[in-house]
Amino acid sequence: MIRLQNIEKVYRTDTVETLALNKVNLDVAKGEFLSIMGPSGCGKSTLLNIIGLLDEPSKGEIRIDDQKTENLSDKQLAQFRNSKLGFIFQSYHLINDLQVLDNVELPLLYRNTTAKERKQLATEALAKVGLSNRIKHFPTQLSGGQKQRVAIARAIVGRPEIILADEPTGNLDSAMGNEIMDILLQLNKNDGTTIVMVTHDENMAHKTHRLVRLFDGSQVQ
Amino acid sequence: MTKHLFKLIWNKKKQNFLLMSEMLVSFLVIFAVFTLMVYYYNNYKKTMGFDYENLWLVNYNNTYQTKSTDSLNTFYDNLRQTIKSMPQVKEVSFCSSNVPLSQNQWTGDAHYKKIAIGVDHYIADDNYKNAMNLQLLEGRWFNKADANLKTKPIIISDATREKLFGNETALGKMIGVEDGKFDYKVVGVIQGVKARGDYSPAKPAIYLRTDTGSYSSLGKMMVKVTPDADAAFEGKLYKTLANYMRDSHVEIEHMVNKRKSTNLFSLVPMIVTLIVACFLVINVALGLFGVLWYNINKRRGEIGLRRAIGASGQSVSSQLVSESLILATLSLIIGTFFAIQFPLLNVFDLKAEIYIVAMILSIIFIYLLVFVCSLYPGKQAAAIYPAVALHEE
Repeated sequence: MIRLQNIEKVYRTDTVETLALNKVNLDVAKGEFLSIMGPSGCGKSTLLNIIGLLDEPSKGEIRIDDQKTENLSDKQLAQFRNSKLGFIFQSYHLINDLQVLDNVELPLLYRNTTAKERKQLATEALAKVGLSNRIKHFPTQLSGGQKQRVAIARAIVGRPEIILADEPTGNLDSAMGNEIMDILLQLNKNDGTTIVMVTHDENMAHKTHRLVRLFDGSQVQ
Repeated sequence: MTKHLFKLIWNKKKQNFLLMSEMLVSFLVIFAVFTLMVYYYNNYKKTMGFDYENLWLVNYNNTYQTKSTDSLNTFYDNLRQTIKSMPQVKEVSFCSSNVPLSQNQWTGDAHYKKIAIGVDHYIADDNYKNAMNLQLLEGRWFNKADANLKTKPIIISDATREKLFGNETALGKMIGVEDGKFDYKVVGVIQGVKARGDYSPAKPAIYLRTDTGSYSSLGKMMVKVTPDADAAFEGKLYKTLANYMRDSHVEIEHMVNKRKSTNLFSLVPMIVTLIVACFLVINVALGLFGVLWYNINKRRGEIGLRRAIGASGQSVSSQLVSESLILATLSLIIGTFFAIQFPLLNVFDLKAEIYIVAMILSIIFIYLLVFVCSLYPGKQAAAIYPAVALHEE
């Protein structure tokens, strides 16, 4: 489903070159739940951004669903992300000026869908994460766990094949974190969604199918 | 997407209030400026109503001391003949001091039945029409036979006709210049004269014929000359006049020059308003630009998110420009509500079409201003790197 070959990422300033990723090779199978671990600054988020086509590698090749992504235009990349990928972030990235339902509908705005379809799909996604009773609330009226569930609903509303989660439980206490992890596990199990998750939490990582460890930009496990 | 943007703007109404107020105030100021400009332009494109080329104005003061009206008439008839005998002179006319393009005005009323309107009064002799090259629309100008008529003749301008009689014919109607007395018979209608320059309208006017006793109070002479009348001729004319009217202060002015100075005088308020408006527009543009720039920097996380979930750089840019245009639309709806009151309430007695054209121009201007001010911040938003913006949050 996802194939990374010899991925390198170098951040350059006028005086300093920082190697964030060094010859990373990774294959993620369809329906797999993969977790990425490593100390802060080891390149986990950079790797996730590259898989999510939010960042370009300095070297190497990425194939997603057997498609090369390096020559896609900005518009094609945007369409690709919209149809294939769902994102979950540690800090939720909800728009506080929009109600929960509108936040969840966001990815569908960049597709040819009617308002009725958008509302129906968003309502279904919110039901899946157990937030049907919060659709008219604003994010500021929700707890951290509820916010993350809204973010999950937003990630799955477009029925993407891949979900990329950047420390989804990082801002939550363990009970809330477990709830979120359960939702992700169910999505993987029931819907067959491929999930790549960056985490600091060993317990969460051990619940996934496979664990990849990074250290100083290199894959060590 | 439009509904989504409306929702976003509505939910951020407090943050958007200042920006919308700025756009609203700008619209109202621009509306005032455009109203003035459209009003001036509408007046400018209309004909002057008289020919100021090769038309000289002679200012004098009557120094001929006599109690006999006949002697006075003879004195000025001889003067007319003397001047008219010069080959460069085409026509000579004695008239009241409120000639067009002068600072003198003589305003009064004109009455017909129960209608009373404010008009400019002019006193003119039989040659005035030819000297000024006035355009006769109906009837005739004054002539010598008018001295023997039982009812006094009067000539009115087309604006007076419209206000007093509407669509009815004016010829033969009895009107008055004093309340309750309808003792003047309309014998002719002329095209209105823009007496206060190109940028002012032709106000309603009436023309009364000089009578035998008028010369003692008249102080202006209009002299229509041929195109070859030069400075040498002007000197000759001056000498002739000065010799004939001894002890009189004679001054010759060219109506072409008077038109220029009058127009300049009219343009001053417009130039001042334009300068003020230009500064305001620059301030508004900088303000809009600054607020949009600030908003974009505040929304980097949102922009990063939108890019991540499927928005291209172009669509992010379009969204931000659209948001500004929607805000402008909301401001313009409120602004138009206020602006539309001017034609509805007939404020300043201007035609509704002037306000409507000014409103349309102001709307276009504000949209253009907002669009131009949004373009660069929108472009910058499109260039935001999603991975960086999402990491910042």
